[in-house]
Parts: sequence; structure tokens; C-alpha cells
Amino acid sequence: MKTKSIKEPIRKKWIWVLLFINVVLIVPWYFPEGAVEPFIFGFPLWAFISTFFTLVMGAYLSWLCISQWNIVEEEEEAAKREEEVKHG
Amino acid sequence: MDNLTFAGMDGIIILSVFAIVMLLIGYFSGKGDSNLHHSLSGYYLAGRNLGFIALFFTLYATQYSGNTIVGYAPTGYRTGFSWLQSISFMTIIIGIYLLFAPRLYVVSKRRNFVTPTDWLEFRFKSKAVTLLSIFLMLWGLGNYLLEQLVAIGQAVAGMTGGTIPYEIAVVVFVLVMLAYEWMGGMKAVAFTDVMQGIVLMIGIFVFLAGALYLVGGNFTEVTKYIATNEPDKLGVPAMEVSVNWFSMLVLVGLGASIYPHAVQRIYSAQSEKTLKKSFARMAWMPPITTGLVFVVGIVGIMLFPGLDAAGSEQLVGLMANKIAAINGFYYWMMIIFFGGIVAAIISTADSVLLSFSSMLSNDVYGKFISPNASEHRKVMVGKIGGIIAIFFLLWIAWNPPGTLYEIFVLKFELLVQVFPGFVLGLYWKRLAAKPVFWGMLLGAILAGLLTLTGYKTIYGIHGGVLGLTLNFIVCVVGSILVPVSSEQTLKKDELAVLELKA
Repeated sequence: MKTKSIKEPIRKKWIWVLLFINVVLIVPWYFPEGAVEPFIFGFPLWAFISTFFTLVMGAYLSWLCISQWNIVEEEEEAAKREEEVKHG
Repeated sequence: MDNLTFAGMDGIIILSVFAIVMLLIGYFSGKGDSNLHHSLSGYYLAGRNLGFIALFFTLYATQYSGNTIVGYAPTGYRTGFSWLQSISFMTIIIGIYLLFAPRLYVVSKRRNFVTPTDWLEFRFKSKAVTLLSIFLMLWGLGNYLLEQLVAIGQAVAGMTGGTIPYEIAVVVFVLVMLAYEWMGGMKAVAFTDVMQGIVLMIGIFVFLAGALYLVGGNFTEVTKYIATNEPDKLGVPAMEVSVNWFSMLVLVGLGASIYPHAVQRIYSAQSEKTLKKSFARMAWMPPITTGLVFVVGIVGIMLFPGLDAAGSEQLVGLMANKIAAINGFYYWMMIIFFGGIVAAIISTADSVLLSFSSMLSNDVYGKFISPNASEHRKVMVGKIGGIIAIFFLLWIAWNPPGTLYEIFVLKFELLVQVFPGFVLGLYWKRLAAKPVFWGMLLGAILAGLLTLTGYKTIYGIHGGVLGLTLNFIVCVVGSILVPVSSEQTLKKDELAVLELKA
């Protein structure tokens, strides 16, 4: 297996810096307490922004799983193909 | 949730159908697999061969219980928009998985781990660490299981309008669960999760549709109503609530990802590809699960104004009643929805029970009582031990505790203390057994004491998170100070397991 192809999220600092920033934006600590207006789609502004960043986090994590995590996949899939050839 | 006008006999029919389907799935998943009951990994990890569909649904149905609906909607009702946190704290779990699951998956396959304890034992080779972590994990699992048992009874009693008394409902469903789990182990648990997860998903969508129908299909009207009548539930939360939100993200993220049954799903994956695909889908589930339940809770503020804490716990039942009255379609959908809630509780309880049994088999019996016993015997010990534990917990469940959410936070406080040793140990070679033990112990004591003395949170920060902080500090500082002796470090060939480039 080629060393180059290994991707492990823990080794990439930017992943965790971005995740941290994302979390900080989700929690509404930076809005003036008690503020309600304006409404966006029935949500108060702070709740709308918080929800938006929550969805961003879901998308980001989903993308990370698929594209930044690859340790033994090639090895396993190759073994699986071999197995299939044997039994097929 | 008593006096549901829509239920009664129809509810009993739907529940019976669900129970029969579960039993059939259990029977067929165990049939023809003679190896299942003779191998720990066969019984507890489905032979480490769960494909994408089964793995995704077992992650989903285990993580989201019936409580996610029955308990979270009332919390949304009581706290208002700040309960948006339930979407974010369920999402962050995937982020925490990314910290350790990729490497743990590889290591677990190389070393054939069955329980989380296997990893801790391999890494630290310390009886003290092993025993303490077993205790903390079993404690967390037991409490979690208890909560599910209490919830099953409440849901069934609500659905059948009290036709089936609370105790009988719990016993019948527990027997169904024990039966299919006995027959098929993890395979049965995962395959029933597919059915249970689908019913839960559909149920939530229909329930929300009904709730929105009741308020005229206009969510903006609901927020306007809240702005006029209960502005506190709408405005930017106080700083302490925001701090509490951060604390929940830490507590739930670390706690839920380190749950033994959660860890065992990493072990059970057929391949890295199926595991990461399942996690990638799971990251999208909170908005359409806890997110929709949040909206239900908010709509409830307008539909049923002025409920007190105890009254609001009945919110889902009250609302289902109203929705069922809309027309025949909603009537049957509500019955199926309540069946779905019961199914969702069962799907969480079965996973927790299986994990509990696996720790009795592999950890308590297999490591400390009879290491040389055959795997068949170990599996048997776990199965029977699990049944004894269930009936002990049932005995406690007859006096259900207060609101569901209260116990939800409690179970994390101690369990989460396993996290520092578990995850730091994967990456930091210097992390030593003694500091891990003391960190875990002191963290658990601090968290437990704060909770017992009524300081569940301090300025919004959970006792569990404070304990965890102490735990991390003890682990790190202790490991830096402890001189590295030859005994304490892993041998070269053992280290190779952790090296991904090897």
C-alpha cells in the first residue's frame, strides 16, 4: 500500500480549526441578549443564523467523512475484489 | 399520555404486528448461521460484516430513540428556540467520531477487539484501568437501558389508552426484544433497526405535517404568537444558556461517541468504505430528526399554551390526539407513529442490552473470571447475564423518575470519563496507565459529587464536563511527569498495530 494515499482526519489541523470556528458560530453568544427581530422564514435572526451554521457543520462533516478519510479502503476493496473473483 | 381517544384496540393490533415483524427478523437473521452462537464477534459484532444499509440504520435507530421525540418535543416546548441546540449536539457526534473512529477501526480489525475494554486493556495493560472503565461503562449502559425501559411503558400505555397497563406493556416488549436478540445477536439487532429506523423517520415526517396542519400550515404565525405571548422563548438566549449550549456540545459529542454500543458499531463495519459512508449520511440526520422534533415542540407552544413541566411531558400524546382527529389517514398514521416510537425505543434498548451483555461476556467473565472458557460459554454467560440485568432494571423501572431529560444528562457524566484514556491513547504513546486511572477516577468523583449535591451545572457548565477537564489535566500532566519505564510502554510489535503506515 502506498503511504501517500493515507488520509486520516486527526493529522490535518485545518479540519479541527474550521470545525471549532463552526461551533463558535453555531452558539448564539455573540448576539445582544433578548433580541428577536428581524424574522427570516419565521425564525428570529439569531436562530436562523445558528441553524444555518448547524447545517453547514452537517455538510462539512459529511464531506470530511467521504473525502478526508482513507486509510485501508484500497487494501480492503482490493481484497474484496479478489475474494469475489475466487468465488465468482 | 393517557386517555388517547384514537387508540385502544387499533393500537394493540399495530403493536402486535410490529412485535411479530421484529420476531420474524430476529428468527431469520439467526437461522442458518451456526457460527453465530459460538463466537463472540459473530454474536456481538455480526461477524464484523455489517453492510452499508444495516450499519447506517443501526447507527441511526440506536442514536435516536423514542425519547428523542417523546422527551425532546416537551423540552423544545419549555425552553423555546434555544433548543435548536439539539440539532447541533447530535451533529457534533460525527465530528468527534472523526477524531478516533478511523484509526480505531483499523486497530480493532487487526486485533479482533470485541468490546471497548479490549482496546483499553491492550493499550494500558492495567487491571485498575480495565476494571474502572468496565464499571463506568456498565453504569452508563445500565442507566441508559433503565431510561429506555421506563419510556417503553409510558409510550405503550399512552398509545393504547391504558388498555394495556404499564407493567404488562414493558414486560411484553422486553420479552420480544430478548427473544430476537437471543436468536440473532447483533445481526438481529441491526436488521430490526432497519425496520425500526424507517418507521421512526416516516412517523416524524407525518407527525410534523399534522402539527403544521393544525396551526394552518404557517410557521411564521407560530413565531408571531410566541413573540406576543412568550417572548422569552424566542429572544437571543442569556449568556449562561449559551455556555450551557457549548457544554452540551462537549458532553453529548464525547459521551455519545464513546458509548460502548457506539464503539462496537465501528468494530462491526464490514469495511472502512461502509463505515465512512454511514457516518457521512448520519451527519445529515439531526436536522430531519431532532430538527423536526424541535419544530413540533415550538408549534406546541401555540397549540397548547400554558402547560406546566409535568403537563408538557404529555405534549406528544396531546398533539397526536388532535392530529388523529383530522381524518382517517392521520388517525392510522398516528397509531403507526406511536408504534414507531415504541419500535425506536426498542431499537435503542436492544443495542444497549447487547453491548451490556458483551461486556459481561468478554470483559467481566472473559478477563477476570474464566479467561479460558470457550467462546460459546462466554456468549451464554453474556446472554443470561443480560436477562438478569434486564429484570433487575425492570424492578427499578416500576418507579419511573422525573422528566426524561434529567436522566439523559446524568448517564453521560460518568461514562464520558473514559474518553481521555480511550482517545488520547490512540495517538499519544507517552500516555501512561496510572495517570489515566487517576484521571478517570477523579473526574468521575468530581462529576458524581457535583451531580449528587445538586450542582448539575455551574454557570451552565455540566458537572460531567468539569470532571472531564480535570480528567484530561491529570492524564496529560501525569503522563509528562511519570518517567517512561520499559514496562509501561508498548512493545515494538504492539506499536506496529497503531502505525498505519506499517
